[in-house]
Parts: sequence; C-alpha cells; structure tokens
Amino acid sequence: MKKVFFILISLWMGVQSTQAAVSPKQAEAFMNNIGSTVISLLTDKSITDQQRADKFQEILEKSFNVNAGGKFVLGRYWKQATPDQKKHFLNLFKATTVASYATRFKDYTSQKFEITGSRPEGDGGVTVLSRIIRPKGAPISIDWKIFESNGEMRIYDVVLEGISMSVTLRSEYAAVIQQGGGNIQVLVNALEKKLQSFK
Amino acid sequence: MKYFFKILLVLALSIEFAYANEGIKNLANKNCATGDVKAVPIYDCGGIFFGNSIEDDDPLEPLNRGIFWVNQGIDYVLIEPIAWAYSEIIPEYGRDRISNILRNLNEPVVLVNNLLQGELEDGRDTIWRFVFNSTIGVAGIFDVSTDLGIPYKKEDLGLTLASWGFGPGPYLVLPILGPSNMRDGWGRLGDFAVDPINWWTFGLPVTGRTAVQVLDAKTDNINVTDEIKKNSIDYYASIRTWYTERRLALTTAVEDRQAVDTPRPDEDEDEIVLSRE
Repeated sequence: MKKVFFILISLWMGVQSTQAAVSPKQAEAFMNNIGSTVISLLTDKSITDQQRADKFQEILEKSFNVNAGGKFVLGRYWKQATPDQKKHFLNLFKATTVASYATRFKDYTSQKFEITGSRPEGDGGVTVLSRIIRPKGAPISIDWKIFESNGEMRIYDVVLEGISMSVTLRSEYAAVIQQGGGNIQVLVNALEKKLQSFK
Repeated sequence: MKYFFKILLVLALSIEFAYANEGIKNLANKNCATGDVKAVPIYDCGGIFFGNSIEDDDPLEPLNRGIFWVNQGIDYVLIEPIAWAYSEIIPEYGRDRISNILRNLNEPVVLVNNLLQGELEDGRDTIWRFVFNSTIGVAGIFDVSTDLGIPYKKEDLGLTLASWGFGPGPYLVLPILGPSNMRDGWGRLGDFAVDPINWWTFGLPVTGRTAVQVLDAKTDNINVTDEIKKNSIDYYASIRTWYTERRLALTTAVEDRQAVDTPRPDEDEDEIVLSRE
C-alpha cells in the first residue's frame, strides 16, 4: 500500500512538473518587477533620454521573447524567408518594437500601473492582468502573456484592451507583404524606413 | 411599415450573404481543419476564434482603401481643423460635460440592445443610469451614476447581432464614419432607426447632434489614432486589425479568447542569435 501510494505521488509530481511550467504567482511577481523597474526608469530625472532608451532596450530584450514574437508576426511568410532575411527581419522587429514602446511610455507621468491578477491558460502559459490608471478617463487594461521556456520567464504577447499586439502586427505585416506581391523584402524595406522615422 | 419590412428583408439578405460567404471561405481554409472545429460553431471557424485569417476577410479592399483615403482627406482638411478649434474654444471641463450629455442621450439605444440581448440586469442598470443622470445629473451633464457605482457600458446593435451568433462578415469602410463590417454597418443603421431622437426631429437638430458627436469622438480619440498612425507601416491595415480585434474582444467571452492563436515557445526559437545594434 505504501509503495502504491509512493508511485502515485511521484506520478503526480511528474505530471505537475511537466504541465505547470509557470505558476500564476511567479508570473505576477515577474511582471511586477518589470513594471516597477520601467516606472523608476521613466521617472528618473537624473539620466539622459539616450541612457533611458538604452536601458529600456536592455529590459525589453531580457523580458520579451523577440524571436518567438517576430516568428509569429511573420506568420506563414516565416517559412518562405531565407536565414538572412529572418535575421534581418528579427533585428528590425526588435528595433521598431523598442522605438514604438519607448515613445508610448514617454509621457508617463501621473499614471499608475497595477497588477490586478492572473489567469493560467490551457497552453501552459499564464496571462497576467494589469491596468494603467489615468488621472482622467477609464483605466486601460493590459494583459501580458507569459511562458517559461529554457528555465526563463518571458513575455510572449501584450494584449491592450483585448487587442493582441502580435495578432495586430501579423495582420499588418501580411497586408504589407501582399501589397508588395508576396515579397518579404518589401516588408523589410518598409520597416527600415519606419525605423529611420523614429530617429 | 411597408418600408420597414423592405429594410428588414435587405438586412436579412445581406447578413445571409455574409454568412454564406464565410461558409465558402471556411471550406477553402485548410488551417481550419487543424483546429478544434467541433468545439466552435462552424461559421466561426474562418477567424473569430482562430484569429489567423483576419487579413483575408476584406474582399472589398481596393474600394475600402479608396474610401479610407478619402476619409483621411476629409479628416485632414475639414474635421481636424474644426476639432482643433473646438478643443481650443471649449475647455476640457466643458468638453467632458458635452461628452456626458451625448452619452446620456444614447442610453435609450443601449437599453434597446440590452433587452434584445436578453441582458435584463444590464437593462435595469441602463434605466437607472438614465434616470439618475437626467435628473440629479441635470440632463446628463454630470455622470452621477458612475459615482453611484453604475458605470457606462456601451452596447450597439452590432454587438447584439454578434450575441445572436452573427459573424462580422466582410470588413467595410463607411464614408466619413470609418471602419466597420457588414454586421456592424447594418447595426449602425438599426441603432439610428431605434433612436427616439431621430424620430422626433429629422433635420437640423439631428445633424447638429451628429456633428457634435463627431467632434467629441475626434477630440477624445485624437491621441490613439495618431499613435497607431505613427507606429504603423500600413495605416489602413493597422486600423482594420485594431477595429476587428476590438470588436472581437467586445463580443467574445474571456474563456473563448484563450483559443486565439498567439505566440508561444517552440523548440527552435533560440536558434537565431540576434546581433546587438
């Protein structure tokens, strides 16, 4: 009886360790940590804008899975891309993401960021729910899709008021490629141009 | 009454068309077979839950793009300057009050949709909101209901049709009004028809209200659309997805949204080593 019990327990533990890759509480703590780091960065008046942008890029690279995100947003065109194109695209994707988020959070002054909860998902990830409270107007809800892979927790998607940023970008990129006659290079060129406009 | 039925018939036929169109698309959509088709109604398969064929559901794209750019032009030369003047002349406090009045006037339409959806509790909330705001809130100038714990919850006929199981149908760009789709377009028409204000006075007061509504929406959204414009490489496609995804979020329960395809880890994700730039 003891033996059977032991086997059952170890089986259960085995199941636990393969299925629950990341616990909701851990994911919340992870997001909370990123949130407070970013806020202290944005409100720190002692550093220059350039230093702030560099630091922001560092945080983003560490906490976002740029590769998985980039692969997803290229959708079915990922398989068609050459290794060089893939690499070039991912670098551009990372750079434009950093630039667009940096401008987005620029006027963060009297807003407040708070984590409101989390939800484990069927695919092994956890969605951390948060909101930005503005001095005026309704709060903005932001959900963060978090997975753990290779022992590291990272953000895979940002959902703004129910709108997945990855799905939005994938759709937009597909439209650009389609308009350019199915050529991925058209997208790469457009992203390069966009990046210049941020500078 | 005769006209009413004619409109109803056209409406029914066009939604039927949207349905049929989606059905055909779904048969052609190979990805569909790999998803858990049994778990969702067939007509949803083309994109509502899987979210991966949004870019395809725009058969009128050339026309839509045309109207979109005309709208942009009208916006640039006419609406934006007026909206700018409006926000310069009337201080933020005043604009907020006007915003509240417009929202209060829209509550009857919200109520009709609450009832059509069978959401009786929401309907009760809407009635109380309208009563409180119209009396204590002085004709809707002050949104006392929100302070009393009954926040505004937007409903429209597009959302009602969605709750009855209608898919969005092809994407549409309406002249001046902007992004929409087959379902929401008919929804707008229906909402206009049930709005009591449009029955009483058809003419200047209605046009006046619409004009102020446009200005109100414009001064409220100015930053959001600017940001999308600044960050996108194809503004039209970006707006199309934002609209589609936003309506999808409003019509789908959180549990169902989990099925939406989003990035996730896979075995070769760390294969490519990024260079630091």
